[in-house]
Amino acid sequence: MTGIRIALTGNPNVGKTTLFNALTGSRQHVGNWPGVTVEKKTGRIDWNGHAIDVIDLPGTYSLTAYSADEVVARDYIIDENPDVVVQVVDATNLERNLYLTTQLAELGVPVVIALNMADAAEAGGYAIDREKLSALLAIPVVRTVGTRGEGLDGLLDAAIREAETSPHHEHTVGYGNDAEAMIASIVDVLSADKDLTKRYPLRWLAVRLLEGDENALAKIRDSPAFTGVQALLSGIDPDEYEAAMADRRYEMIAAVLPQVRTAGAGGMNVSEMVDRVVTDRYLGIPIFLALMWGAFELTFAVAAPFVALIEAGLAWLSATVAGSIEPGWLASLVGDGIIGGVGAVLVFVPNIFILFLILSFLDDTGYLARAAFIMDRLMYAIGLPGKAFIPMLIGFGCNVPGIMAARTIEGEKDRLITILVNPFISCSARLPVYILFAGAFFGAGAGGVVFLLYILGIAAAIGSAKLFRHTILPGESSPFIMEMPPYRLPTAWTSLLHMWSRGAMYVRKAGTIILVGALVVWCLASLPFGVDYGSSASLAGALGHLLEPLVAPLGFDWKIAVALLFGFVAKEVVVGSLGVLYGTGEGGDALSMALLADPGLSAATALALMIFVLLYTPCLATIATIRKETGSWRWAGFSVAYGLVLAWLLALIVGHIASLFLGGA
Amino acid sequence: MSNVIKGVFGAVLGVLYGGLGMLQIVSAVTYLALPFVPASFFGGFVLLVIGAVLLTGARKFAQGLDEGVVFVNVGILLSVAFGAVTLLAAGAGALEAVIAEEAWSIADAITPAVYLAVIGAAGFLAWCRTFFRGLVAA
Amino acid sequence: MDPICPLALLSAGTEATIAEVRAGKEMRFRLAGMGLCPGARVRAQCVDRGSLIVSVGDARYALSRGIAMKILVGEPEAA
Ligand SMILES: Nc1nc2c(ncn2[C@@H]2O[C@H](COP(=O)(O)OP(=O)(O)OP(=O)(O)O)[C@@H](O)[C@H]2O)c(=O)[nH]1
Ligand SMILES: [Mg+2]
Repeated sequence: MTGIRIALTGNPNVGKTTLFNALTGSRQHVGNWPGVTVEKKTGRIDWNGHAIDVIDLPGTYSLTAYSADEVVARDYIIDENPDVVVQVVDATNLERNLYLTTQLAELGVPVVIALNMADAAEAGGYAIDREKLSALLAIPVVRTVGTRGEGLDGLLDAAIREAETSPHHEHTVGYGNDAEAMIASIVDVLSADKDLTKRYPLRWLAVRLLEGDENALAKIRDSPAFTGVQALLSGIDPDEYEAAMADRRYEMIAAVLPQVRTAGAGGMNVSEMVDRVVTDRYLGIPIFLALMWGAFELTFAVAAPFVALIEAGLAWLSATVAGSIEPGWLASLVGDGIIGGVGAVLVFVPNIFILFLILSFLDDTGYLARAAFIMDRLMYAIGLPGKAFIPMLIGFGCNVPGIMAARTIEGEKDRLITILVNPFISCSARLPVYILFAGAFFGAGAGGVVFLLYILGIAAAIGSAKLFRHTILPGESSPFIMEMPPYRLPTAWTSLLHMWSRGAMYVRKAGTIILVGALVVWCLASLPFGVDYGSSASLAGALGHLLEPLVAPLGFDWKIAVALLFGFVAKEVVVGSLGVLYGTGEGGDALSMALLADPGLSAATALALMIFVLLYTPCLATIATIRKETGSWRWAGFSVAYGLVLAWLLALIVGHIASLFLGGA
Repeated sequence: MSNVIKGVFGAVLGVLYGGLGMLQIVSAVTYLALPFVPASFFGGFVLLVIGAVLLTGARKFAQGLDEGVVFVNVGILLSVAFGAVTLLAAGAGALEAVIAEEAWSIADAITPAVYLAVIGAAGFLAWCRTFFRGLVAA
Repeated sequence: MDPICPLALLSAGTEATIAEVRAGKEMRFRLAGMGLCPGARVRAQCVDRGSLIVSVGDARYALSRGIAMKILVGEPEAA
């Protein structure tokens, strides 16, 4: 036997991806809130001569999907026939998790239960009799602790055994005389269609049809049995059956549970107590803001000495380069182009790493889900469910996963709005621009200014959402319901790993896209031959002067115009381009000195520039993601145009107001 | 008995946080220079929030609600957490001064968020360790 | 058992049994998967003007007022 496909499924936040990573050695995103995984991911392993494909799926509460991510999970399991389904079960929450098990059993696929979070269950005083559970459900049950990689061998062995046992036992819930009679007659009608019989277990299909599942109805629409089924169903009220059948499933579970589990001590737990405070109607939002400010302090202050060290290193490097490389143009290429451009971006590596460390902490504690709840009231006022706040918080790291996270939003229009406003959330790539300009022009107030920029980004997102809701995408917001995971203490190790893998991406970007961008800008600034480097007679100057009229009302000169143009590729390129154009090959904090010395730049223009960078298109990758997630270039184009207009207007207004207070313009 | 102590602790620490937070904000707006209370608008805001949590706890204690202890505990946790953050930031400031060969004095590190957190930490050691032991590592 | 009041009107710390869910079909399937279906015992933990955090079995959910108004429960009782 060779290829085996194992699909990992289960309720949200039970540890599917943790197990997937442990099994395959991948580094997929794990987080302590429901809805982290929104796409299916495949990983391959070799195990005792078997080539095994492990497929990680988004979490789902049942096989009737509601949101886009659940559809992915459902369709894979129902339509792609994996050889075995491993249902990852949260051992601290057996009752609800087993509901999905009853549906999987009905579907007739080979199932293995990974009884995950066994450590948490044991710490909570639960004792679970796995053998008994396995016997009662006729499904193998394996104890696992995903975070520590315990039980993986046993899980793989059981999965392979199940995949290779053909016919395996089906064990389904009995729904009582009335429903069973209906199911039998539906099965009878369906069995006339041989094609359908081959593709789906008829009992499962009949149950879904009786419950009134639209998706099941769609599956038989083209079948000759369709009219017969319709005739059968027309006489009954599916709503009545649906409630009764759900009830039967829980009754079955309730009968199993006391036989296999001895409950731990009850009482109010820590999560519940902390939630009393952090979701308090008056204190909730202030606490959220205070935490955000704390995150800021860390990102700026703690990184500062490391930034200073890198600056010193770069200064030394460029001094060495200037002194030892011949001819002059090559020294300029290395000094101005590479060190000036890429160095300007690399300087901020410490800030970026700390930002990612904080975001990973936020991810793992479980506070993210609370933030969504706290914001629900505010979000409701603008016509979005509170859940839409989660993609925004993810956007603080990078807008691409932020936009993808919108898949968990149920309503299609809600999802579109959530996607379209995400680019206004200030991602990590914009941070270097702020640190550079706020640091140069606002001195001690820099932290506050940048904090306000982040708040402005949230405000722009929320305001735009309200605008879209009232104009192009009208409608009601879909209801908000979200599981609140227990708070967990992230281990230093997982947080650091998380930080490393995402921070390394930033460094890699500096070595690729930003390097290329810097080289292009350097060429433009050096050509045609013989021109003064970076002067307005160069190609860059010509390009900049072409664009200058567009941004002149904002107080930006041609150098900034060029930097903003190249910033379309990625926001760090703005800093990189300026580094090149200002010819600060001397490295160190020379760039901020050069900016400060430029008579064309004032604190007010710096503010306008930061606002412009905050609001205009984040990067090519984001545009591509909007295109992919909305399925149309129209929305991607709309997002770019809207962002540019908003950026231009707000930069103009704030720039002018600020110049009244700060002087200069 | 221990509840009375906790309620009073919450009230006193809450008032200190609220008062010093107010001072930090006022001096940020008016350019007032006070010793050991540096001007900081958002820093002051954070202190106000911690103060509000603690005072809410004290008020609930006074009303005889069990919830009071929850608010005081979380308030203490916030106090310690923000104390640690501020201390880290101050440490980084010192390091930066060393690197840039600038002047730095220990007084720069003595801010309300730090010295109030010392009181918070005492409360934490006295009451909160068991409270937070229920958390499971991720 | 007769539906008495929407879930949204429970006060913190009270328990009740769900009697009826007046939501669309898809929503009802989802809620059933979450354990929020007729017959389930729910306990309100944090309440804020209609939106609330409830516990059902070992799970805890946050619900907005909109959905909490559609879930009807029987006679609430102090836990
Ligand atoms: N204590 C404990 N925590 C675990 C275990 N497995 C996973 N976790 C934690 O549970 C949380 C959720 O893990 P994920 O792997 O992201 O869960 P998931 O099922 O993929 O979640 P979705 O993709 O949102 O459906 C993370 O915080 C993990 O660290 C375990 O065995 N024990
Ligand atoms: Mg996952």
